[in-house]
Amino acid sequence: MKYDRSIKPSPSSEISFRMTSQSKFSLNNELDIYFVKKNDLPIIRLNVIINAGSKFDPINKKGTSNLLTMCIDEGAGKYNALELSEQFDLLGAHFSLNCNNDTIQISLQTLKENFREALDLIGKILTEPHLAEKDFEREKSKIQTQLKQLSDDPDYLANTAFDSILFGESHPYSFPVLGLNDNIANINNDEINDYYSKFILPNNSFIIAVGDITKEELKKNLNGGISDWEKGNADFHVGKVSSPDKKTVYIVNKKDAVQTEIRVGHHSTMKKSKDYYSKHLLNTILGGQFTSRINLNLREKHGYTYGAGSSFNYYKDDAYFGVSTSVGIENTTNTLNEIFYELNNIRNGVTEEELSFAKSSIIRKFPLNFETFRQVASHIIGKVIYDLPDDYYDKYVENINAVTIDEVNKAAAKNIFPDSAMTVLVGDKDKLLKQLKDDNFGEIKVVG
Amino acid sequence: MKLLNINYQKYKLDNGLEVILHQNKNLPAIAVNVWYKVGSAQETKGKTGIAHLFEHMMFQGSENVEKELHFKYVQESGGSLNASTSIDRTNYYEKLPSNYLELALWLESDRMGFFLPALNQAKLDNQKDVVFNERLERYDNQPYGLAWELLMTNLYDKNHPYSWPTIGFANDIKNYNLDDVVNFFKKHYSPNNASLVVAGNFEVEKTKSLIEKYFAYIESGEELNHIQVVNKKLSEKKVITHEDNVHLERLYLSWSTGIAYGEDEAALDILSDLLTGSKNSRLYKTLVFRKEIAQDISAFQFSGKYAGNFTIVATAKPGHTLDEIKSEIFKEINNIKANGISSKELHRSKIGIKSSFVFSLQNLDSIADHLNSYNFYLNEPNSFSYDLNRYDKVTTEEINNVSEKYLSKLFVELRIIPKRSKT
Repeated sequence: MKYDRSIKPSPSSEISFRMTSQSKFSLNNELDIYFVKKNDLPIIRLNVIINAGSKFDPINKKGTSNLLTMCIDEGAGKYNALELSEQFDLLGAHFSLNCNNDTIQISLQTLKENFREALDLIGKILTEPHLAEKDFEREKSKIQTQLKQLSDDPDYLANTAFDSILFGESHPYSFPVLGLNDNIANINNDEINDYYSKFILPNNSFIIAVGDITKEELKKNLNGGISDWEKGNADFHVGKVSSPDKKTVYIVNKKDAVQTEIRVGHHSTMKKSKDYYSKHLLNTILGGQFTSRINLNLREKHGYTYGAGSSFNYYKDDAYFGVSTSVGIENTTNTLNEIFYELNNIRNGVTEEELSFAKSSIIRKFPLNFETFRQVASHIIGKVIYDLPDDYYDKYVENINAVTIDEVNKAAAKNIFPDSAMTVLVGDKDKLLKQLKDDNFGEIKVVG
Repeated sequence: MKLLNINYQKYKLDNGLEVILHQNKNLPAIAVNVWYKVGSAQETKGKTGIAHLFEHMMFQGSENVEKELHFKYVQESGGSLNASTSIDRTNYYEKLPSNYLELALWLESDRMGFFLPALNQAKLDNQKDVVFNERLERYDNQPYGLAWELLMTNLYDKNHPYSWPTIGFANDIKNYNLDDVVNFFKKHYSPNNASLVVAGNFEVEKTKSLIEKYFAYIESGEELNHIQVVNKKLSEKKVITHEDNVHLERLYLSWSTGIAYGEDEAALDILSDLLTGSKNSRLYKTLVFRKEIAQDISAFQFSGKYAGNFTIVATAKPGHTLDEIKSEIFKEINNIKANGISSKELHRSKIGIKSSFVFSLQNLDSIADHLNSYNFYLNEPNSFSYDLNRYDKVTTEEINNVSEKYLSKLFVELRIIPKRSKT
């Protein structure tokens, strides 16, 4: 060996990366199209994003938006549900629908050669869905059964309990996207059709296309299908409902569970807030990756868990900070003590070394965030939904670089609140109550 | 398809390490992917799960890389990394900006050659706890989480290397000691039992000399003999009923089939797609769409180097029984055996498979892992076209044949049902 193995190799010369530029145009029906050319493979990916997520579900009808999402591809134009699905299969196209709190999303990935035909099918789904009674009844029964199934899933129970407690009853984000079983029982097919007519409009949507196609070809392909989608009255917003955070422990009883699912968190500021970059760096240090404080503490030091992390979670109209992990029941209070220790401790400041590590990690990873067609599309979607500036990704590295240690420390003081953090525990109530009795993580309430 | 013809070079270092290089300059990135030819099949009874424990221990540092620094160095460079363990192999991989290639090679070589000097009891104890929690989180506390373990322990003979779960039995995880770890490392983690793929944006000659620099002087280990595996047939039909914290009953049917890349594997894969792969697939259409007796249904061929199985899983809708579901499943299987499938159905499956091959080329790490996988199972890294052709060649008659040949055999039936209330 002619070299010293103990010396970590340095990087070779710096690399350069420029994100492919994106362009934007609108159709006559006021549908905005964002386009990125990417031709390393003969693939095209297209997403239709509709401002019609579960936050718009009517009162006592929670689950409407998701049910429409399930029904909208159950037959359209001249095809019934099975025929429509077969048409996508025969094109080898990956087609999927998804509903979240803010939007309904249609995703298509095809080989270039089949793009036009697949796109025409999407046009039919948007403009001529059957939304027939029989299909509705089947999908309704499916989601009711799925919710029953999810009531066994500790992860789902913890997430939905946390949303419900954090946002409070009347908030549009406090309900599960999939809805509530007693509400779903009262939804009928007319209401699904109404929701469709009201929200599924080109001027309430946008499209992102990424792939091996020119802008002119894309425009041509959108003609005659998507371009005939008729616009309507669209000005849909939800009001922000504020509810104060209060340090409380909520126990969701799951008898015989062998673990406790833990969520700890509180409200936070929006993605557009001025200190977003400081918050991102802060969380990278606190709980954003494997080497962050929380995981190193809970997993690598104590062995309480398989993994633990924290994140700032952004919706279009609200945001929260949360810590998430699952541990053996006997370590529940030990884990909570460590989590609260870390939340308090980060407010004492981070080190220069931690900050430069976090910056390096985020900045150097940046080019790798644009590898797949899906990744490129989802970055543009985020930019539009959160209403970020046009040059957001062009300036991203520069903005991360500019953050000072003072700004990160201020962000910690302004954004991490252990004294008002709410805790959700999903596990065996009796064992948890016994363990928690001498600790002070807030008033204990048993829910569910 | 020309697209699937992946450029590569393959060679061997003197110590037996296989090296596969694939240049791909789409992004300023490189993927490094190491396969050790050891999975849970190489374990012995009482020490199950130790191959997977290594997936953890190999991140605990080596002589020149302290605990936690492996992760730290890769993440600091903007990279991502992970590892996984299967029945046949363990892989370790990272993707980094291309100017950090040397760092990745240094890290991978340090744990291949200099893992033991940094091993200690505290690290082992910590990772035993982590793995035990992994087992709790991913299996014991998951609805239906023990199903696979129950199926495999019953489908395979108790001495068969695929009869235990990759994560390991809970008691075994608690009992590993330092000697176990040292011996397992010495036996399986030598350069002559591994292959290294570097894929992405790099200069070939420079990369070859870096690989030489970091890996060449790691000493070879003993030559390993293939494990001897006897595939015994089930002597009787097995029905197992297991109570779990679930609301809905679920049925699992599992038949022994053949090995990975064996003569019937492609036909069995297509059969699984014809049965449950889409809305129009036979079982989905009947059980989920038309009769609405099942909430979900899936079928798949799962195979490794030494054996394989074909498994169908279906969840009953409330008010319907597993017997109803089972009877419909067999009705459809018998229908295929008697009347065959249409060429349109076969065509539909093949088109989907072809697109998926192209879609899979989007990820550098996925390409790197495929090169290692093809090299491991077929001794030829550039097998994307060969692999796709296997599916393209399948005929409707072959679908009939494999249905008859495998799905007429004795099978294991597992029923997961809600816990009875203790009254």
